[in-house]
Amino acid sequence: MGSIARLRKYFWGYTFIVPAAVIFILFLWMPIVKGFVYSFYHIDFVKGNSYVGFGNFRTVLHDPDVWTAVKNTLYYMFLCLIIGFWVPIVFAIAISELKRFQGFVRVAAYLPNVIPVVVLYGLWRWLYDPVGPINATITQMGNDPIAFMTDTRWSMVSLVFMETWQQFGSAMLIYLAAVLSIPRDLYEAAEIDGAGVWKRIRYITLPFIRNLIVLLFILQLIATSQGFQSQFAMLDGGPNNATLTYALIIVKYAFTRLDYGSASALGVLMFLVLGGLAVLQHRLSNNREGN
Amino acid sequence: MKSYDRGILSRYDLQRTPNKIVYGIMLLVITLMVCSMLYPILVTLFNSFKNNVEVNSFPPHFLPQKWDFTTFSKGWHYIKLPLFFRNTMIIFAGNMFMTVIVLGLASFSLSRLNLPGGRAIGFFFLAALFIPPTTYIIPNFVNLKNLGMLGTFQAFWLPAGANAFFLLLLKNFFDGISMELFEAGRMDGASDLRLFLRIALPLSVPIFSTLAIFVFSTAWNDWFWPSMVMHTDQKRPLATAIYNYVINVRRLDTNVKFAMLTMVMLPPIAVFLFFQRFIIRGLHMCGVKG
Repeated sequence: MGSIARLRKYFWGYTFIVPAAVIFILFLWMPIVKGFVYSFYHIDFVKGNSYVGFGNFRTVLHDPDVWTAVKNTLYYMFLCLIIGFWVPIVFAIAISELKRFQGFVRVAAYLPNVIPVVVLYGLWRWLYDPVGPINATITQMGNDPIAFMTDTRWSMVSLVFMETWQQFGSAMLIYLAAVLSIPRDLYEAAEIDGAGVWKRIRYITLPFIRNLIVLLFILQLIATSQGFQSQFAMLDGGPNNATLTYALIIVKYAFTRLDYGSASALGVLMFLVLGGLAVLQHRLSNNREGN
Repeated sequence: MKSYDRGILSRYDLQRTPNKIVYGIMLLVITLMVCSMLYPILVTLFNSFKNNVEVNSFPPHFLPQKWDFTTFSKGWHYIKLPLFFRNTMIIFAGNMFMTVIVLGLASFSLSRLNLPGGRAIGFFFLAALFIPPTTYIIPNFVNLKNLGMLGTFQAFWLPAGANAFFLLLLKNFFDGISMELFEAGRMDGASDLRLFLRIALPLSVPIFSTLAIFVFSTAWNDWFWPSMVMHTDQKRPLATAIYNYVINVRRLDTNVKFAMLTMVMLPPIAVFLFFQRFIIRGLHMCGVKG
């Protein structure tokens, strides 16, 4: 086949790719590359950028707030795991055993996912209010009210509860589909062999969804390590920097201090850490498809 | 032999008392979960029908004692809701166009036209899946500023086209369409563009409906990015407006606040209840690939 014929044959194929390629280059790869470049520059929209070497990295690594943010982010990720991670698994197994109203329960569990996050913020500020419904219940039971938002011991925990409430439904539905796809004969056989209910869950249900659990575990780590929107919207990183996460300090460097160079440097550092996690996730999800 | 459906539990299990107790506790916990899911949503709705004294009273009631319907008209006139709603819809329409045309064409070409070098091109697109978006959020902003796109709708539409995850979903979907259809079309002399418009697009209505729901929920939800790239109300979407004028404002009456939250909350709930099937399916696709 001549090259002209080849060109004609594939002309439209390549043409179809061009718009997407241009967009990916302009709005994805260029910002990513520029992020690395900017991290070595002082960005000034008026006077132009100037090269500062590793200056931005020195600035951020010597900023105690950055280290607070790293600690807070790890704490936030940890809380999301112990408060949020196991909930969808337990409910998926429990709901799979429902004989009636299963569809209704699924919809109810997923419903908070559909609520816009701005509504979530307004609503939960009211729920967590010192004189809101949660504190009303607590005081009626004879306990002291809790300052969910302004007490540094509670603020992050309160945010994690709020996010778990909103998000556990989607993970639950993914687990539920996996649990429901387990062949029933396995349980039948195990029961005949004398395995009790717990043993059936322990040796059949959980191993069956093990890969999914690992995958969602990594996805959750990647997602929570980037969390900042609810911390920003509900508390602006306060009280006393207790909810200042790493992604939030990136945003603050950029839009409060207008130091886009240091913000890019923080982004680069995060990129290096998270890139590793993402590759790991890819490996695992490929394994899962292979099964 | 198998005359009944069983799960982990069989009928025999439920005849034993300890199992019955555990099953009862489980039902109770699920009921509690459902209530705690529905309570905040219903309380938002009911708070918007209370008068301002009642909504601030302690301890709070669930149902309004006196129904007040004026809150909604107050909320409607408090900010220009139709304008913000229009902006959200413009953003949604533009993002959807980018998804269908730009990503649709590219994924169709990658999946069905057997281009030489197609694998490398595919890798160029899909490698973006590995990159956490927060890490380049600031350079992305600076980049848009340099391109002079701040304050225009292009600042939403064009970056929305750079979505590797949607590209992957579309490509996987096109991979599943039988090749014979396209070969038959080609026999009849259809051009590649015609194959895309007349065969691929009509067959991919399910995947595009799923994507439409994702795109809609992003357009309806996202308040942070718009608040960075838009500096006037003229082009801000609903979520940003609500964040600026309802969530972050102290003077607004609580009942009017809840009326506005209700107005913003109900459309997506309606969309969800109506399109449940597509949403749940979309979720399963997400489960396969993050």
